Amino acid sequence: MADTGKQAKPMTALLNEEFSLSAFDSSVIPKKLLSVLDVEKKMSLESVKVDPLAILKIVKHARESYPSEVNGQLLGLEIDGVLEVTNAFAVPTQPGSEDDMTNYQIEMIQCLREVNIDSSVVGWYQSTRLGDFMQKPLLDVQASYQASPNSSSVVLIHDTSKSEQAGNLSLRAFRLSQTYLDLTKDGKLTTKEMLEKGLTYANILEELPIEVETSSLAKALLSELQWPANADQELLESLQRPSSFNTKLRARRLADRSAISDDTEASSDALDNSLSGLLPSQPTAYLSRPMCTNALDLSQGLNGSSSLARQLEGINDLIDEHIHDANQWMYWKRGEAKELNRRQQYVQRKATSNAARLARGEKEEPEPTEKELDKMFRVLPEPSRLDALINTANLELLTKGITQSRGPALTKMFMAQGLHESSA
Amino acid sequence: MSLLNLSLPPLASNLVKSRTTTTATTTAQQCYIHPVVLFSILDHYLRRNDNQERVIGTLLGVRSDDGRVVEIRSCFAVPHFETSDQVEVDMEHHRSMFSLHKKASAREQIVGWYATGSQLSKYAALIQDFYSREAAPFGAVHLVMDTELTGGQLGIKCLQGAAIGAGAHPENCLFLPLAHELQYPDAELTALQAAADSTEGEGIATLISDMEQLEKTIEELRCMLARVSAYVDNVCEGKTEPNTVIGKYLMDMLAVVPKVDTKQFATLFQSHLQDILMVAYLTNLTRAQLNIADRLQRIA
Repeated sequence: MADTGKQAKPMTALLNEEFSLSAFDSSVIPKKLLSVLDVEKKMSLESVKVDPLAILKIVKHARESYPSEVNGQLLGLEIDGVLEVTNAFAVPTQPGSEDDMTNYQIEMIQCLREVNIDSSVVGWYQSTRLGDFMQKPLLDVQASYQASPNSSSVVLIHDTSKSEQAGNLSLRAFRLSQTYLDLTKDGKLTTKEMLEKGLTYANILEELPIEVETSSLAKALLSELQWPANADQELLESLQRPSSFNTKLRARRLADRSAISDDTEASSDALDNSLSGLLPSQPTAYLSRPMCTNALDLSQGLNGSSSLARQLEGINDLIDEHIHDANQWMYWKRGEAKELNRRQQYVQRKATSNAARLARGEKEEPEPTEKELDKMFRVLPEPSRLDALINTANLELLTKGITQSRGPALTKMFMAQGLHESSA
Repeated sequence: MSLLNLSLPPLASNLVKSRTTTTATTTAQQCYIHPVVLFSILDHYLRRNDNQERVIGTLLGVRSDDGRVVEIRSCFAVPHFETSDQVEVDMEHHRSMFSLHKKASAREQIVGWYATGSQLSKYAALIQDFYSREAAPFGAVHLVMDTELTGGQLGIKCLQGAAIGAGAHPENCLFLPLAHELQYPDAELTALQAAADSTEGEGIATLISDMEQLEKTIEELRCMLARVSAYVDNVCEGKTEPNTVIGKYLMDMLAVVPKVDTKQFATLFQSHLQDILMVAYLTNLTRAQLNIADRLQRIA
């Protein structure tokens, strides 16, 4: 009895009701799962639904290893063009070898299967530092994931520092576009081919919209965290705790003297929740400060050097590389033009000398064939434009990120001005 | 008259070891939980097999050197099977999962175990004993999450075991409560915010841009300010009982608003504004240039 139950339950993610299947009876399977059984059908992905559990795991892993970049696998299911990510696990950063990595993944998935976690890998995630995640290895890995047929996979990119600063979760889902896959399959990325297929730096990756869906129990947990039922007494007692509030504030004032820092965040920091104190506090099961007051924080710094400065430095480096790539290409182009010129001149000379010979009554020399010409005037093949393309895409990502962050920054500044005027 | 021998777990961490048991030699006094643990427990509970009423699993985390402060960072599920006579815990699974986790995050160690349900399981003491041996030399922390929503709440309780009884058998264990607090690193807060948006409406939330998030936060701040000023007005008019604690707190908070000299503020404001506009202009210029370069190349 237990066996048939296990056999027909690979999709326990969505079967919240109880089914007892005696034989494989497809009428008992909920309608929305039927498409999963149809292995022949090919459906294109339209959006990604992520469970908060997967998000929290990704965020935690990225935060712990900041600033190095880490990655891991995503587990879930694809249904009707929507990729549902229900869980994720981290992958160690120093694997011994390729085999170790594969073994780790296989073992992890097997263990997770025993507790009914979805065992199909639907993609992978990567954390990024500055926002310039467009690198060749990423494209290669994603290509290998998308290469297997009938399996859709996405790469989720999470930017830790951006999330913390902007107060807004930075999570994006990408797939490789079909044009890019076609071009790389043939292995040639010349200007002509890219023009034909229409590949630009903007459409290497396709972005998919992300939605967050929580289970009902998780919703209950979230509501309880935000609005606890009987916290009044505890709240009053913790408000009475002295010193931690003022010392933190003074420390902050001393630290950011030059930046205009809006201290609405400090006011909610009063309920101290750091690991430094050994004094046991009253049990507080709720969030001790409202979520996302970071959005109001004006100071642009994060751990010392301002992240904006770091991004600008990154842009500088990328621009240097961009110019270098452009110069390389021009050098090749000039070389090609010279060779073609010489070739044409040779053909012309041959033609005139033939005409002269005819005039003198001698036999014509045979016209040089294409093959002979090719052997004489060898043109180097065009260097692959892929690196330049990736570099440009990276540059675009960084600049777009900065531009988008200026809007909120401007708003916050005017808010600070308003606050100052009202308090003056 | 028979006496009940109740021994609280000893505080000092070293050579004091009871003769017959290998239970904890150090007590924890404070426990911090990461939100991912709670969600993980709920997810495991939702995916349990038909015949299970409760689920258990291992808690991973770090402890301070003297064992007093425990930080629970993550967890994983362990299959177990419970009947009225006996309980089976899949230790193989527990060991292999732990070694896998160790590869990914080397700092985390076993600090305890969790279970769901409104009451402690009959076999909690036995399982506690097993985990105490795993978490040696510190005692294991037991986290209970009430998934049956008694009293309309998901009660989260942290407990630790203490030996009790005339002879020290592992089955005799008294669970003492432990102060716990939820710890939210900033990045997780944003994730929780995104998830919390999905609790309103039909349960699905799309990720919004920074500007929209800022707008929402400002709106929330405005509501909070409205509530506080309504409260203050009521107190002034005598409609509500004044509470000195809240009053002092509000006073402190208002003192937080930075007092910057007007001229200095104006200079700061202008220079910051110029910086922002300059950066925006330069980056837009770069983007336009990239676009032009790309199109030119395609023509050539």
